[in-house]
Amino acid sequence: MNYLDLTIKEIHEALLEGKTNPVELTKEALKRAKENEDNAFEMIIEEDALKKAEELSKLPVPKDNYLFGIPYIAKDNFSTKGYETTASSNILNGYVPLFDATVIKLLNEAGAILIAKSTLDELAMGGTGTSGHKGITYNPWDKSHTRLVGGSSCGSAAAVSDAIVPFALGSDTGDSVRKPASYAGLVGFKPTWGLVSRFGLFPFAPSLDHVAYFTRSVFDSALATELLSKHDDNDSTSSYKERPNYLDLNSSVEGKKIAVINGIYKTIQDKKVIEDFDKNIEFLKKNGAKVDFIDVDTDLLKAIYPSYIVISCAEATSNDANLDGIKFGPNYGGKTYSEVMFNARTKGFSALIKRRFVIGSYALMRENQEEVFLRAQRARHLIVNTFNKIFETYDAVYCPAAPNIAPLINKSSENINEDFMIADNWLAIGNFGGYPSITLPIGLENDMPFGANLMCKPFDEVNLFNIALKIEEGTGLKNLNYPAYAKKEGK
Amino acid sequence: MNFETIVGIEIHVEMKTKSKMFSLAPISFGLTPNTEVVPMDMAFPGTMPRVNKEAVRNAIRVSNALHMSIDQEIWFDRKNYFYSDLPKGYQITQQARPIGSEGYLVINIDGKEKKIGIERLHMEEDTCMQHHFSDYTLLDYNRAGIPLIEIVSKPEIRSGEEARKYVEKIREIVTFSNVSDGKMEEGSLRCDVNVSIRPYGSDKFGTKVEIKNLNSIANVEKAIDFEAKRQSELLLLGKEVEQETRRFDEAKKETVLMRKKTDAVDYKYFTEPNIPPIRLSDEFVKDAIDTCPELYDQKLERFLNVYGLNEVDAKIILTSVDMADYYDEAAKFTKLYQPLANFIISDVNGYLNKNTISIKEFNVEPKFISELVELLQSKKINSSQGKQIFEKLVKENKSPLIIQKEVGAVLINDESEIHKLVLEVLEANPTLRDDFKAGKTRAQGFVMGQIMKKRGGKVNPGIANKIILEELKK
Repeated sequence: MNYLDLTIKEIHEALLEGKTNPVELTKEALKRAKENEDNAFEMIIEEDALKKAEELSKLPVPKDNYLFGIPYIAKDNFSTKGYETTASSNILNGYVPLFDATVIKLLNEAGAILIAKSTLDELAMGGTGTSGHKGITYNPWDKSHTRLVGGSSCGSAAAVSDAIVPFALGSDTGDSVRKPASYAGLVGFKPTWGLVSRFGLFPFAPSLDHVAYFTRSVFDSALATELLSKHDDNDSTSSYKERPNYLDLNSSVEGKKIAVINGIYKTIQDKKVIEDFDKNIEFLKKNGAKVDFIDVDTDLLKAIYPSYIVISCAEATSNDANLDGIKFGPNYGGKTYSEVMFNARTKGFSALIKRRFVIGSYALMRENQEEVFLRAQRARHLIVNTFNKIFETYDAVYCPAAPNIAPLINKSSENINEDFMIADNWLAIGNFGGYPSITLPIGLENDMPFGANLMCKPFDEVNLFNIALKIEEGTGLKNLNYPAYAKKEGK
Repeated sequence: MNFETIVGIEIHVEMKTKSKMFSLAPISFGLTPNTEVVPMDMAFPGTMPRVNKEAVRNAIRVSNALHMSIDQEIWFDRKNYFYSDLPKGYQITQQARPIGSEGYLVINIDGKEKKIGIERLHMEEDTCMQHHFSDYTLLDYNRAGIPLIEIVSKPEIRSGEEARKYVEKIREIVTFSNVSDGKMEEGSLRCDVNVSIRPYGSDKFGTKVEIKNLNSIANVEKAIDFEAKRQSELLLLGKEVEQETRRFDEAKKETVLMRKKTDAVDYKYFTEPNIPPIRLSDEFVKDAIDTCPELYDQKLERFLNVYGLNEVDAKIILTSVDMADYYDEAAKFTKLYQPLANFIISDVNGYLNKNTISIKEFNVEPKFISELVELLQSKKINSSQGKQIFEKLVKENKSPLIIQKEVGAVLINDESEIHKLVLEVLEANPTLRDDFKAGKTRAQGFVMGQIMKKRGGKVNPGIANKIILEELKK
């Protein structure tokens, strides 16, 4: 029996029953990580992970502390004390943080075991998982290495989907967890903005950034939320709201009102995606949900991508201005301070990053700010107001998470038309409004998974998990992972 | 042609809060470089700002002292630019909504009051300190993140003298409210001055020149006067004033060019996304104002009315808040307010000046100074004994009553003993009584001198005088 193929809840039960122990789990996770060929890791933390596992194995397993003894992985843009953290960018090569991110601290305190730091699109900017300094991270579902796993949290997605660990931290600024979750057949959850501390997460665009995570079941997402959703004085945007018990769930959709947005639904051209999505809708209706297909101004949906690009690039150009070669990261010297900065940034960033900085700087320039940056902010407000209104009537918005299965690596920029742009970018609505948002698998096409996404109003996680649990029941795709699937299909 | 000088001043005040503006790093000035630093101050990735409540309270207090309206919603913005002393590549400041706006202060020019308008007061963070050497620069992040208040005047200042008084008044407010040390020479109060000139009667502004690196209030005045003269000479020669930044060269006593200003830098401001707007409750604002340490004007009024000091002395004591505090503390132990003031102004200040130390470094407890003043005033000791005790007091910081006993600084107060001494002198000098009666009053002084000589000056002069007069009249 390999326990890493199971959900966190199941592993926890096995630990309680003494069927396995933290050392065994950690050894297996490390073995799988080392054998993995998808280029998912910046660093594997072997020695310390084993040491911690040995210490934990001496302790009794605390009941309901689900993450005790569970190996996990963090995207390499979480500050980890003593472990080099580069955000997959050359500009941070050799940077060893002095402090742990709050979520890392909470996980460590709960007894979760960090076994690796995972790859990402450089500085979390990108949605393909191809732009990190270690190159392309591949989709574990396609052993011929022709498909993307998606990004920016590519390594974390690959690791959970390849059953190396049952839990991995990612970050989500536009859809950086929820999109790869769709391509990798995972549950990808982004909580309400302010619910989980961002302290120690390398910022990309703070007004959109979220700590988010991959699991293989809705319940596992809920139990991680139960642990991680603590107020944190180190993050001034951390909410003071009292947290409910996220595990007090009933998986009922009886009387729930769910909205499908026509303007998104109709842009999905993949027939299998629509077919399985429709099937799931029927299941929800059968279980007492009321599902309406509603209209939203298409201009607003078209504005999602440009607004996202402008706002995120503008914030990024400022957030990453600290990366100047003076305080940390490689310093290539120079006669003046500006030469030092110029050299560090010229050599440290890839062309894609520089392009984003140029866009961001352009948007913020005095003469452009009104027409570009502030206009994007106004569009963001209009979109958020529209969805806030929808949430006054509906418990959730539900749509396919992506236009299709994971794209081929060299064809990822084809099919760029207006419909595709909406289908491919609508998840950013969740970042604009800080809405809790969960992607979960709803089907497979040619052995490649795809997912749908559910969003609720802020701080409505319990409601979100309840509906998601029912969706999961309908699809029967709980704990989807490649090794188990391959075994079952005889691959 | 005569020109009118137009001056606007931006003042940066370094607050003396316990910790930094947006981090928990402690502040205690003047420590070993890079020892008061947390990851936030060096912009390590993932660090986030948290607003210092004490700094907000300070900003409210100064805004209130400057009669400004206070924005009860606190917003911060990012000012983006690259420089070696700016760890994050941006400074967190308050561009769009400063905490204080539209205020004024009153200065006194030739006995007339003049109001100087103040445009804005905002909070921001300091940069790190650079130490430049011939071929390298060292950075000290102790200063990075220290809370600053920036106060921007309206261009309503018309001379170097007005500018000096304006800065003095600001300094007085920030030091008396205990917001800052306000030391220009140490950089805890920094002035940037904008100077332009225009023909009298014109309502247009001329091209303005910015002057930086002013390290004393006196230099603010000198620099402005020089600059106004320089600009008017240019205009009179038919030349133009160019928009530029200059610095004041203290040795030459003139402003020198630092750099020409091309288009003003675009700081690409936007709202700081990591600090949500903070709503200040009415109670918080009221409390900050109510608990503000007493400002100069209130203190002066109290020193005049409660202590009954004369105005000249009161103002001398109020030249520094530390001196005023010292006086206040000492005044708890005596009611002899004016003699106490006199003693502090002459003896204590004399000692401080001689040893070039400040009242803060003066290690005598205020109550001992009061005891000494009481001893002197009650004539239980004479002034030379007073000096003797003071000399010991500054070394040992113990009660003057004890010192008095130790050094035997006791006067002879016994009337019969003094009477005996007086009679001895009169017997030895039989003509004295007649001399006195003939109007030679110095006889009186002679007797006093003789008895003092006999007892080493330790005779209570009050009692002695009375007895001498009685005897001479006989």
